[in-house]
Amino acid sequence: MNWLVRALSSSVGKKFVMAITGLLLCGFLVVHLAGNFLLYVSPEAYNEYAHKLHSQEQLLMVAEVGLFALFIFHIYLAFSLTRDNQQARNVSYARRETKIEVPGPTRRISNWMMATGFVVLGFLILHLADFKFEARSFDYEGKEPFDKAVMILKNPVTMGLYLAGSIALWVHLTHGFSSAFQSLGLLHPKIKCTIEWIGIIFAGAIGIGFGSFVVWAMIQ
Amino acid sequence: MSTVSTTTLNSRVPSGPMDQRWENRKQELKLVNPANKRKYNIIIVGTGLAGASAASSLAELGYNVKSFCLQDSPRRAHSIAAQGGINAAKNYPNDGDSVWRLFYDTVKGGDFRARESNVYRLAYLSNLIIDQCAAQGVPFAREYGGTLANRSFGGAQVSRTFYARGQTGQQLLLGAYSSMMRQVEAGRVKLFPRKEMMDLVVVDGVARGIVTRDLVTGKYESFAADAVLLCTGGYGNVYYLSTNAKNCNVTAAWRCYKRGAYFANPCFTQIHPTCIPTSGHYQSKLTLMSESLRNDGRVWVPKQQNDPRSPDQIPHEERDYFLERRYPAFGNLVPRDVASRAAKERCDAGFGVGTTKMAVYLDFQDAIGRLGEETVRARYGNLFDMYQKITDDNPYKVPMRIYPAVHYTMGGLWVDYHLQSTVPGLFVLGEANFSDHGANRLGASALMQGLADGYFIIPYTVGDHLASTSPGKITTEHPAFAATMADAVGRAEQIMAVNGSRSVDSIHRELGSLMWENVGMSRTAEGLTATIDQIRRLRHEFWKNVKVMGSGEEFNQNLEHAGRLADFLEFAELLTNDALNRNESCGGHFRAEYQAENEALRDDENYCYAAAWEFNGVDQAPQLHKEPLTFEEVHLTTRSYK
Amino acid sequence: MSESLDLTLKVWRQASHDAQGAFRTYQLSGISIDMSFLEMLDVLNEHLINRGEEPVAFDHDCREGICGTCGVVINGQPHGPDTKTTTCQLHMRRFKNGDTIVIEPWRASSFPVVKDLVVDRSAFDRIMQAGGYVSVNTGNAPDANAVLVPGRDQEKAMDAAACIGCGACVAACKNASAMLFVSAKVSQLAILPQGKPERAERVLKMVARMDEENFGSCTNTYECEAACPAAISVTNIARLNREYFKAMLVSDPV
Repeated sequence: MNWLVRALSSSVGKKFVMAITGLLLCGFLVVHLAGNFLLYVSPEAYNEYAHKLHSQEQLLMVAEVGLFALFIFHIYLAFSLTRDNQQARNVSYARRETKIEVPGPTRRISNWMMATGFVVLGFLILHLADFKFEARSFDYEGKEPFDKAVMILKNPVTMGLYLAGSIALWVHLTHGFSSAFQSLGLLHPKIKCTIEWIGIIFAGAIGIGFGSFVVWAMIQ
Repeated sequence: MSTVSTTTLNSRVPSGPMDQRWENRKQELKLVNPANKRKYNIIIVGTGLAGASAASSLAELGYNVKSFCLQDSPRRAHSIAAQGGINAAKNYPNDGDSVWRLFYDTVKGGDFRARESNVYRLAYLSNLIIDQCAAQGVPFAREYGGTLANRSFGGAQVSRTFYARGQTGQQLLLGAYSSMMRQVEAGRVKLFPRKEMMDLVVVDGVARGIVTRDLVTGKYESFAADAVLLCTGGYGNVYYLSTNAKNCNVTAAWRCYKRGAYFANPCFTQIHPTCIPTSGHYQSKLTLMSESLRNDGRVWVPKQQNDPRSPDQIPHEERDYFLERRYPAFGNLVPRDVASRAAKERCDAGFGVGTTKMAVYLDFQDAIGRLGEETVRARYGNLFDMYQKITDDNPYKVPMRIYPAVHYTMGGLWVDYHLQSTVPGLFVLGEANFSDHGANRLGASALMQGLADGYFIIPYTVGDHLASTSPGKITTEHPAFAATMADAVGRAEQIMAVNGSRSVDSIHRELGSLMWENVGMSRTAEGLTATIDQIRRLRHEFWKNVKVMGSGEEFNQNLEHAGRLADFLEFAELLTNDALNRNESCGGHFRAEYQAENEALRDDENYCYAAAWEFNGVDQAPQLHKEPLTFEEVHLTTRSYK
Repeated sequence: MSESLDLTLKVWRQASHDAQGAFRTYQLSGISIDMSFLEMLDVLNEHLINRGEEPVAFDHDCREGICGTCGVVINGQPHGPDTKTTTCQLHMRRFKNGDTIVIEPWRASSFPVVKDLVVDRSAFDRIMQAGGYVSVNTGNAPDANAVLVPGRDQEKAMDAAACIGCGACVAACKNASAMLFVSAKVSQLAILPQGKPERAERVLKMVARMDEENFGSCTNTYECEAACPAAISVTNIARLNREYFKAMLVSDPV
């Protein structure tokens, strides 16, 4: 397996792992968002879903370890690649202008991946503290999942931070989605435009989807 | 002016039937034992088509190759700029081509001043070149079914030109470069980029190494070898303005000449008719546009002298389509030299156009009317874009302005059939030698010659030379190396010490305009004689008044240029002497006294020879050695394009 | 036609690789709009020499956009404001009277400055020697028509082969990545049947050498494509990634 480690630790290999972990995390986002939409169906539906999910303890654990691993790889490689890239240009330009004449919808955003990644990471930590570890100063005692969600989301601090997180996620995915296809070598000219648009729509759907919950909670 | 030697040069041309000479010679050549090859060192100066192909081929055989170039990478040699294509006698289009016909066309195109046996070998090897390059992954143009495409080029009657868009030279060079880089990785070729050859080391009459200057540190070094291959291109920049790259120079060849190698036919220079004219005094070089433009463009000037009107204001009947008028049979497709001279004649007579009045129109209006703009765009789109980028004129709307420019030099160091110069152990390949094009080179033949020399000739002939010497006999410890290096260092110090008031560029420009006006397209005995004095005066001016900034111990482009100009200033005199000696007009050499009804008048009785010049000292007349040229297969005829 | 410009130039001056560099400001007047950018620098250098100052070192050779020798960053853009244009093809009519022009060398750790605007791009040669070739010895070739190359494949290969190796892609990339350069050669030889036998080994070796030379990684910003004077497309980078993926999974380890 030496060859695999070697191949994956090259610059191109690292980008593969970035792309694959990124796309898998996108898959997670879809499942998570679908589950959350049950909030809109009815409190009962959401509670039933939450209880069912938490009753599968072993399965949940495997999933959480898997997700954790995906995040760790994705984040570690982001740092590793950024360090390599900074070393590759040790002196910066006095002046810099793009030569991209008509910047495509996703192009400039690529410069914001690290910044938006940081915001998303903060969002994730906060979110885990809120829901999984119940570490914030809410009164979690004896609340059903639906009530708990409404309680947390209604909080003005949460609202602001979650909105910021959702927007960051939106931006992050706008470049990340199609970029992953390019890194995997799948952005053939025939489908390039389609994938780029799917990426934009997907990122918008995810960003608006997650952002919608705080807006929804506000009017509850 | 010159003394004539009675000794004849030994060109080592094989005897026997023309079509078997090279095969017979290969059988006679001595071989080097495979186990011994790695003991031999070969120095190759230059990494263009000839140098890169020789380096890869010799390294593949097992020799130790050291490859030098003055560019930052071997891939940047000037072969890369060739646009049109490369000829080969494949006869894929089934239109009647053959090795013999390519040979015949090349001898005739060269105006009967090339060595028949060499030209035949060139045509014979041409097919192998295409095979080799295609196998390297050179993306030659293809038909939809996948077979190779050909086009007709430079007025040839058959389609024998292979091409890769308008970048054939680039693709062929990158093919040769990649093969060489493979040998670099294998450790058989050692690269020395940004190292300029400053002199040749000769020990007991045999070439044994070179002295170089590292262009980054300014350090001088010497390298010993069992053979030295000079692949350093042509000397077009003696005219300052030419289509050559700015760093092209005669220094390496000139150093060898001063160490005993004869210089042959320097007056055979080629002027290309379709270049973009100068726009001002600051002009630094000229850009060539493929002569395929003349297939559809019509060349004209106003009938009225100094006509101030813009071209669209000049009605058809007030235009002089001078090529069509003078040469009804060939019209705009007359050979390069004829078209060039006609354009210069019109401009000198006051009919020139543009701001400098040194240009003629090349008009596509009729072609666009006949074929439609789309077809014209498909054929010439990239050339039109290039023209617009430089001039800001849109050639679809207004006629192009063109003017001739120095493009290629047929002359070069004299070599025998083995490509060896008069200094044993010194071989000269590609444009740097004089061998195959006679007085005029046909379109798409330069690439062919460079690669034939490097891939398929030198691997055989250099082996023959090495087999008769023991490897590593002379090292850089030999006193000749120290002495040669001291000469090179001294020369640079001398230049730095002048500390005058004129920039290198300004002297080079003056030399260029002197050469262009008097030793360019049209030459006269009177003008040439006067020019020799002026060159000497300018040379004197250089050594008295040149100003070079910086020091010799650093990256110093100003000093590099000065060193090359110093050699051009000596070489220019030889070129002019050669032009004065050749009392005839042939190919690229046109003497105004020798013409009949505007046609060049060749003198086969007295000048059917290659003029090889031997150095006798600066300011001394060189000694002329004549290599008589005999024509057994192609009979001497007069070119006519009326 | 005789319009002329007065310009302020801010030029990076650095005596040698180890020396400290800095911008120097020069005034130029009467620059014809028909001059090429390099001719404008020639004029500057003539002035400097006449004033007894050292001329600005800059790399250049063919001055017709094919050799890949020239290349400076002009007002933050590699090869200046025009697309599909090398520095030598850029003309002064692109600038306005009174403009200030900032001129810098390519900036990349893999391209150390030699002097002023001149950089050392030999890293590109070392990447090429790692695998940018077809292993065919002289004399070994079959007849050129024995291997058919469909016209469309030839066109694609030629698109990739047009790379002039100038390094503008590295200069333009925020990560100083050489992926466009490497992918152009990998693509050319992956498309052509002549390159197929070595395609897996080639892409692995060239990427490994690219990493050894400390170029950055590709983050799909596509600035390289916009800066490329030879119009090399980032589609080639996708193809390189694909080739690498295939080579990694299905080829024998190298």
